[in-house]
Amino acid sequence: MTALRQDAGLPGLLSLLGHDAVADDGPVVTVAVAATDTEAAVRRLAAAPGARLADLFASGGNPAIDGDPVVLRMVWGLDSDRRYLVTESVIEGERYPALSDIVPAAFTEECEIYEQFGIRPAGDKPLNRVALPPQADPGFPRLGRPPAEQPADVHAAHFVGGQAFEFPFGPVRGVGVESLYYGLVTSGEELVDLYLFTWHKHRGVEWRLRGRTPREALFQVERTEGLGAVGVGWAFAAATEAAAGVEPPARAMRTRAIALELERLYNHAAATAALCQSTGLAVGQAAAEIALERLLRLNAAAFGHRYLFGVVDIGGARCGPDAAALRRELPGAYGELRRAADALLGTNSFLDRLEATGILTQEAAQRLGMVGPVARATGLRVDARADHPAAPYAEHPPAVATGQGGDVLARFRVMQAEAAESVRLIGDLLEAGAGPGCADLPEGTISRTGPPGSPDRSGLGWAESSRGEALAWVSLDEGGRIARARLRPASVRNWRGFDDACRSQNVFTDVPIIEASFWLTVAGMSR
Amino acid sequence: MTAASAAESSAGPARPASTAETAEALRRSVARQFRRSLHIRTLDTGSCAACEQEIRLLAAPHYDLHRLGFFFTPAPRHADLLMVTGPMIRAFDIAARKTYAAMPGPKLVVATGACALGGVYSSDAFTHGGIGETLPVDVWIPGCPPSPLALLQGLLVAVDRLAEKVRELTFTQEGDHR
Amino acid sequence: MPLWFVRGLRRGVVTTRYPARPDSSAAALPTPPAFRPQALTRELADRLCLVCPSRALTRSGDVLVFDAGACTACGRCQEAAPEAVTPSGEFELAATDRGHLVKRIPLLGEGDS
Repeated sequence: MTALRQDAGLPGLLSLLGHDAVADDGPVVTVAVAATDTEAAVRRLAAAPGARLADLFASGGNPAIDGDPVVLRMVWGLDSDRRYLVTESVIEGERYPALSDIVPAAFTEECEIYEQFGIRPAGDKPLNRVALPPQADPGFPRLGRPPAEQPADVHAAHFVGGQAFEFPFGPVRGVGVESLYYGLVTSGEELVDLYLFTWHKHRGVEWRLRGRTPREALFQVERTEGLGAVGVGWAFAAATEAAAGVEPPARAMRTRAIALELERLYNHAAATAALCQSTGLAVGQAAAEIALERLLRLNAAAFGHRYLFGVVDIGGARCGPDAAALRRELPGAYGELRRAADALLGTNSFLDRLEATGILTQEAAQRLGMVGPVARATGLRVDARADHPAAPYAEHPPAVATGQGGDVLARFRVMQAEAAESVRLIGDLLEAGAGPGCADLPEGTISRTGPPGSPDRSGLGWAESSRGEALAWVSLDEGGRIARARLRPASVRNWRGFDDACRSQNVFTDVPIIEASFWLTVAGMSR
Repeated sequence: MTAASAAESSAGPARPASTAETAEALRRSVARQFRRSLHIRTLDTGSCAACEQEIRLLAAPHYDLHRLGFFFTPAPRHADLLMVTGPMIRAFDIAARKTYAAMPGPKLVVATGACALGGVYSSDAFTHGGIGETLPVDVWIPGCPPSPLALLQGLLVAVDRLAEKVRELTFTQEGDHR
Repeated sequence: MPLWFVRGLRRGVVTTRYPARPDSSAAALPTPPAFRPQALTRELADRLCLVCPSRALTRSGDVLVFDAGACTACGRCQEAAPEAVTPSGEFELAATDRGHLVKRIPLLGEGDS
């Protein structure tokens, strides 16, 4: 390992990992890395320009099989090479190298893997409670084995000292907002620290998906993060298709893309409305909500569902867009949003609240592996549609909007630029022809009787949802059922930048503004 | 649950009646108290966030629930009606009970969306698979998610300003030959 | 802010008249299925029960039990048997009793098929 060259680029990286066949590799390269080499590999990858840790998760560790080892997988976005790199390491025992010491973005996942599989990073670093509630005993359902011992102090304590005090807020919050517990540490007005309890909404979705057929699972996946049903559903469907070796028809992929861009449009409209609400601008909120409602009605007219549930199918798209309705209604509905946004950009009392509020620096965004508009507003050019173009984005590349400053205003501007780009893309995609259609799944994939067994096929899927890159990794057993499905909506990543953005010289009342500008869901994070 | 407070009001059953009729009379007497003004609080017990979005849109210009005398309130002490979404995650039991207990009586509970009605999640270690076990539900609104129009209808049924329609529906299409 | 005031006036009223008048936007909403008992055999009913992802359909003897509360109006049963299942078009589904949402749909008698 140590003898390898420091040169950048995929060939050097891969030969470092003992993988030489680069030329004919597809958009996903999978490499086995020995557990002892993991740390060195992560150091090299972390230092490589254009490589970012997109996800870290585990599989295996079946408690029913004695000694079944846990397999640790990392997904690296090699964005400049337009590939994903998946590393697989078999972990024997209960420890693996502390990856978050090298890549801080890995910390949340290390905590999650400890809860679910009972293996922890080396060292005594305290881990946070992420998904399983405090009352979860060793018998509580898990993806793997429970931690051998569960000392009370394994979870990081929050210390509050000096002039500061803690203001607990939640989990039940305002009207029509998701449940989430905020620990706000404040000295009275300024926000000193903020932490979140994320386990109140954990529904064990990944645990539920095991043993289901991909189509049954998709129903649950779409309802994991309802405001990201297309993005998360697409990532999951693409992962299953990669595992089963299925390629959806081009028309169906364009249909998915139209739905995905519609999802982006309504989410950005909803974020605009939420920004107005959090800044107390009721007239702006009303204008944005008119746009939002018209966009949702357009979704219903074009696809039969206001939130586009049921559009994505394993192997294609279940229903096609009503092209006439889209052409007729989209300009008007988007016009409402654009006029509202233009008026907001001319309203100083609104802009004053946004400017220099909730700053996330580019360095922090990179360090924490942020994605989507939040990352792009810091100037990072990460967009799965452009960096990892799958059909149809290879033929219809989006213009990636970036901002600078990383404050709420930058995020607002990025969202508006993206909305305009989505409208253009929908027009292009309609022109190219879109409709329903589904590739045949191989025998067995739809069988309801196949016995759950050992995984033999796996795949990675991704989509650029309105919140950023959504990832999914699926392995199927011989019966074509889900052996392990990892869902990583963009919300999973972006919440970890929320406390950073909140701490940066903000006061109490800025928190709702920052939350609206991130426009994440708790459902997607807690799964 | 609302029986004690409702019995004191005017519509206590005077004639002999079956339990079901008595319950219906009580429900109506409670509902009637809220006909002119009703304050709503929401509670998310594990929804996918789509129901929340539809609830927020009730206050948007297209639906404007204020014109019907409905208002949202963030304070449980001011709330008459609790709209509950999600399959009732077990880790949420205490928060849900406390939220309900903090409301003054008489009070109504509306189960909102297919998760809350038991359609999406089953009862297991994570969730109750519906809110009926934990909270006394007065009105059930199906839908995934229920549209703002469906939510408006549910709220109007809850305060007895619209008659329940679904009771008479058969979900069959008659016709052709028999 | 005069700008917003003028904008609001120009925008006009968009508010629905529901419940006084029906709202046309309801036509595009997904709605639970309605069944044609004449086309429902036991075999077809069993197939529909398997297709339903939200356990809204079960068969009990010669009756298909449809739980409109659990139904997500996903349309899978309509896809599986368009000759026997169509959208009901009903969105006003609020019930004061959970049992009101559970419907018993008679199947074709064994002798009729």
